[in-house]
Amino acid sequence: MPPAVATIDTASPNRSWRDNALLQGWLVLLLAIVFGALLAGVQTALGPAIADNKRNETLSRVPQLIPPPDTAATSAQLEVDTRMLPVSSGGRTAVYRIHRASRDDELAGWVVQVAGQGYADRIEVLLGLSPAADVITGLFVLDQKETPGLGAKIAEAPWRGQFAGKPAALPLEVIKGGGASGNQIDAITGATISSRAVTDIVNRTLADVRDQLATDAGKAAP
Amino acid sequence: MSTPSAGQRFIRGILPENPVYRQMLGLCATLAVTNNLKSAVTMGAAVLFVLVCANLMVSLIRHLLTPHLRIVIFTLTIATFVTVADRLLAAFLYPMSKALGPYIPLIIVNCIIICRCEVCAAKQGPLTAVADALGQSIGFTLALVSLAAVREILGTGMWFGFRVLPAAWPDWVIMVLPPGAFLTFGLLLGLTNWISAQRAGKEEA
Amino acid sequence: MTYLIDILLIALGAALINNFIFYYFVGICPFIGVSRRVEMAFGMGCAVTFVMTIAAAISWTMTRFVLMPGAPLTQWIAGWWLDPQTAAGVDLSILSYIVYIFAIAASVQFVEMYLRRFFPLLYRSFGVFLPLITTNCAILFACLTIMSRLVGVDDPAARWDLGQALVLAIFGGLGFTLAIVIMAGIREELEACDVPTPFRGAPIALIVGGILAMAFMGFTGVDNGLKTALTPPAVVAQAPPTEPPSGAPTP
Repeated sequence: MPPAVATIDTASPNRSWRDNALLQGWLVLLLAIVFGALLAGVQTALGPAIADNKRNETLSRVPQLIPPPDTAATSAQLEVDTRMLPVSSGGRTAVYRIHRASRDDELAGWVVQVAGQGYADRIEVLLGLSPAADVITGLFVLDQKETPGLGAKIAEAPWRGQFAGKPAALPLEVIKGGGASGNQIDAITGATISSRAVTDIVNRTLADVRDQLATDAGKAAP
Repeated sequence: MSTPSAGQRFIRGILPENPVYRQMLGLCATLAVTNNLKSAVTMGAAVLFVLVCANLMVSLIRHLLTPHLRIVIFTLTIATFVTVADRLLAAFLYPMSKALGPYIPLIIVNCIIICRCEVCAAKQGPLTAVADALGQSIGFTLALVSLAAVREILGTGMWFGFRVLPAAWPDWVIMVLPPGAFLTFGLLLGLTNWISAQRAGKEEA
Repeated sequence: MTYLIDILLIALGAALINNFIFYYFVGICPFIGVSRRVEMAFGMGCAVTFVMTIAAAISWTMTRFVLMPGAPLTQWIAGWWLDPQTAAGVDLSILSYIVYIFAIAASVQFVEMYLRRFFPLLYRSFGVFLPLITTNCAILFACLTIMSRLVGVDDPAARWDLGQALVLAIFGGLGFTLAIVIMAGIREELEACDVPTPFRGAPIALIVGGILAMAFMGFTGVDNGLKTALTPPAVVAQAPPTEPPSGAPTP
């Protein structure tokens, strides 16, 4: 049990001057200024580092989701350009965060950052797409709180690896019992809902952004 | 009871007056972040930082405090240092900051801190206040670690993410889920009560 | 319609699926401390719900208009002496935690005064819990959840509005009340049980809490299924043909 709140000795001899409302007001004000300055300092010193951390968390994953260059000779670094893409379909509008990856000014692929409802909580994924947005090139789970040992397997390479190479034109289907082919995805045993949740997020995203990205890719090509 | 010295206060916080097992304070964090040792240790470190800073600050201005505004000043101090701790974590340990999520800002309403400010720092000099803060937060960290050690090894067979039990260990997933926190803490609390009752019995005999 | 489903899911999530006590562990102190008698637990729950709703409204307003990056009020004031581009970059979110805790303290004060003056009967039933509530984690947690749904959300349409914030607070509070009332009911019965001495009091309460948490885990996934069931097929059909057939998920 928490100890009873201690009583301040009201019989303190200094009570008269300490109790002065003006003095107390000043103390709070002074502390507020000191703390304000402290926080401003912290923000100035750490703000850029925090912003970098947030950006890098996503950007460091982009190279894994974009297929390697065709020719081994190309050693050009991936350049990533992030922008927001508003899409409206069926009376609703959604804004997607799109990372456009390019090598030597040539479009190498797209990575779409998107979140949706999972079995337990929100699932946030990165979806890699080929330059023409017709093939899925990879999937990475940024954030999930699914059941450990079951649904949490969506974040593991064997399961999410299934998405790479799937056609983007057809909606993906979740099947149970293994042996997925074509546009099918094997469900994780005991976690069909989590599997389906991710697949639904992917399908919805593809439906929303595919055409837009394909058009953009066409425009960007010389 | 005579006023304990700085050293005594330090020792007291660790076991005899352990904030979690004895005073039942700060239970939100205790239960929420103990599904693995890494989070538990990070949380302990964050509480240590906030408690030491807040206790020191309050102790330095203790002569200026009055009953009316005392709590306001405590809250302001604690909230500021929690914000600093939150930003430090986000800047240097981003994955941990993300994993702990809202539980770092929730340190503001962690009863341990306001309780120590009130009971100790508002009446003692800076040295005693810091010793008290260190003792209490080390006690808090030990409590978190004890809970996390049990939960992580039973739930995943690992400690700090390294495999300890053989891979054949059937993970008790329930231990890393919310119910596991309640059950483990309930059992450990019962165990500590039993041990102290045994000890008290021996001393009497 | 989509909005109503969304509200329903937030309510269900806050009250049952992600119950503040059994899923997020916030507000454990009163859960263990106060939950000895049902009436007391109920009074505490009401007080928390009341304060949480007011604090949520204040913190949503503050976050939306002052604290979040690009908040209109801040931009407008900063625009007086900064050029528009710099003004747009002003980010006061570092002050969020301080603002929230004082919003909570202010709501507690306000509720206490209001109740004492206008509803003395209500005040007598749960007024005693009000001062304790300032340090109740559940309320700050509600404020932080609302913040996480406003700050750093890319899609402006996906940011929570005041209605969603209030629904979270009200139903989160109801879920909290439900949890401590259930707990108090069980503990009243436990008093008649022969509990081993070391486990009397808090330890047995925690173990009972663990079993209740397991029971509440049964709600997981209900929101997902409900959403699938409630989403009108018309919306699915309107979407491009790539949308998969939405079968009822198997648990």
